Amino acid sequence: MIWQTLRLSLLVVGIATILIGLIGTAFGYILARCNFRGKDILDAVLTLPMILPPTVTGYYLILILGRRGLLGGPLYDLTGWTVTFTWAAAVIAATVIALPLMIKSARAAIESVDTEYEIASRIMGKSEWETFFRITLPLAKRGLLAGIVLSFARAFGEFGATLMLAGNIPGRTQTMPLAIYEAVASGEDERAMWLALILTGISITVVYLTSRLSRPRKSA
Amino acid sequence: MFEARIKKQLGSDGAHPFNMDVDIKGGGGITVLFGSSGAGKTSVLRAVAGILTPDQGRISLGGRIYFDSSTGTCLPIQERRIGYVFQNHLLFPHFTVEHNILYGIRDHSRATARQRVRELLSMLGIGKTARRYPRDLSGGEQQRVALARALASDPSIMLLDEPLSAVDVATRSRLLEEISVIQERSGIPFLYVTHNHSEAVRLGDAMYVLDEGRIVQTGTPLEIFNSPRSAPVARVVGTENIFVGNIIEHRIDDGTTVVDIGACRVQVSYCDLPAGGRITVGIRSEDIILSRECLTQTSARNVLKGIVRRIILETDKAELVVSCGVDFKVSITPATIRILDLKVGTEIYMLIKARAVHLLA
Repeated sequence: MIWQTLRLSLLVVGIATILIGLIGTAFGYILARCNFRGKDILDAVLTLPMILPPTVTGYYLILILGRRGLLGGPLYDLTGWTVTFTWAAAVIAATVIALPLMIKSARAAIESVDTEYEIASRIMGKSEWETFFRITLPLAKRGLLAGIVLSFARAFGEFGATLMLAGNIPGRTQTMPLAIYEAVASGEDERAMWLALILTGISITVVYLTSRLSRPRKSA
Repeated sequence: MFEARIKKQLGSDGAHPFNMDVDIKGGGGITVLFGSSGAGKTSVLRAVAGILTPDQGRISLGGRIYFDSSTGTCLPIQERRIGYVFQNHLLFPHFTVEHNILYGIRDHSRATARQRVRELLSMLGIGKTARRYPRDLSGGEQQRVALARALASDPSIMLLDEPLSAVDVATRSRLLEEISVIQERSGIPFLYVTHNHSEAVRLGDAMYVLDEGRIVQTGTPLEIFNSPRSAPVARVVGTENIFVGNIIEHRIDDGTTVVDIGACRVQVSYCDLPAGGRITVGIRSEDIILSRECLTQTSARNVLKGIVRRIILETDKAELVVSCGVDFKVSITPATIRILDLKVGTEIYMLIKARAVHLLA
């Protein structure tokens, strides 16, 4: 049972982290490099899940994605399928909650890249896309990686919004934090301890490995 | 061949707004843009490269139009085929030297591209650095890589923004020679920004002096340095002594004009202005000869008696302020101070040829 929970958790967090990395980097780039009206508002909205209690974010997600929700309603009418109480809902909840951390890290990482390097690349005949992938992204690599690790840790520990949107169905939507809560609530102390230890161990390992990988190369 | 008419309101949000309005025509050689910092030299290069969009004007190179406000043409940066050498090199830190240069090479097979990198590196004498990263290079090596990278893209024009400001004097001298050879071999126009006299004189086929976004004089570097035509030019090219005076008389017999500059009078080359008119004159501090004795039989038209007011000593040169009613800056070597036994308060004669007093409009 523990291993099933762990497998589900890792699957959810793995997919969430990939989504966060892609979406967060894209928004980080837009916020760092583009100027448009309403940029501050966009920034505020994207930061919201970090400020609000996760249960409130989860509640809004139900309003949007639920069976009678803004987007979820039409989807249900059309297909008879709803995302709530599926493992995909756990992925969405973890992604939305941890995304602001990634956006903030990505924005700072990209802002720290001197735009003159990008200009130099453009002058050398490269398009904006090629410049982004071959110059901006590699130069911002370390900050982006840090953001991904932070987001992974946050998504791995996600509880409130997941409970609201995905529920707590063992084997289907019960991730590690939910399982720990249930174990403690039902007095299964040993199970709670093992789950907590495994969760802690994985988090520490990931953070440690990343800090080793991203250590600056020795330079002359 | 190369033409840039640029009008642009600059720094409207900053502390020092000014209007750029330049018209530059370059031939096949090296055109120098000369001016102090903030004069708008870099902005000209950035407009040519397409980083800065002019409010009005037209930029073209050999019939190819980069920008034309009247037709709304504005070629994207990456389609302009420009070689740009930045003041701070801007070598990509995550690429090796070889990779940096490869990055700029357009449409070639991998083998030909690598061959071209080897040629460029050996031409600039940095073949050994190919596998190193920019942070492991000396300033001179970085500069050579930046040159090689700019040339690698097979550009139609080279823009160089104070490329030698970060290298030592010996390296600078060698690189100047290399730049001039590279230009001759490639045959493409070079637009070279600097505020260094020796770079301008050694490289420039033509020179534009910029001040506050405007061109204040055009000519060959030597022409401009030897005879700046107006006070702003004199200031920019470094004429230290500038006086406003009145024309007293013309001496037709020896072809000079006498100008009163306040407390003393100087003879200058004949100028075609009526007596009583106001005129600005400039004298470069190194064009003044000092003597402890009053020389009467000399070719110098001006022998001015003054008193040393101040001595500013640097390691390889010295500057005196000599007062004869008005203050003159005089540039000499530290040895001269010793030989002539100069102190503050010493009486001294300044010898200035009439030809060394420049008439500034």
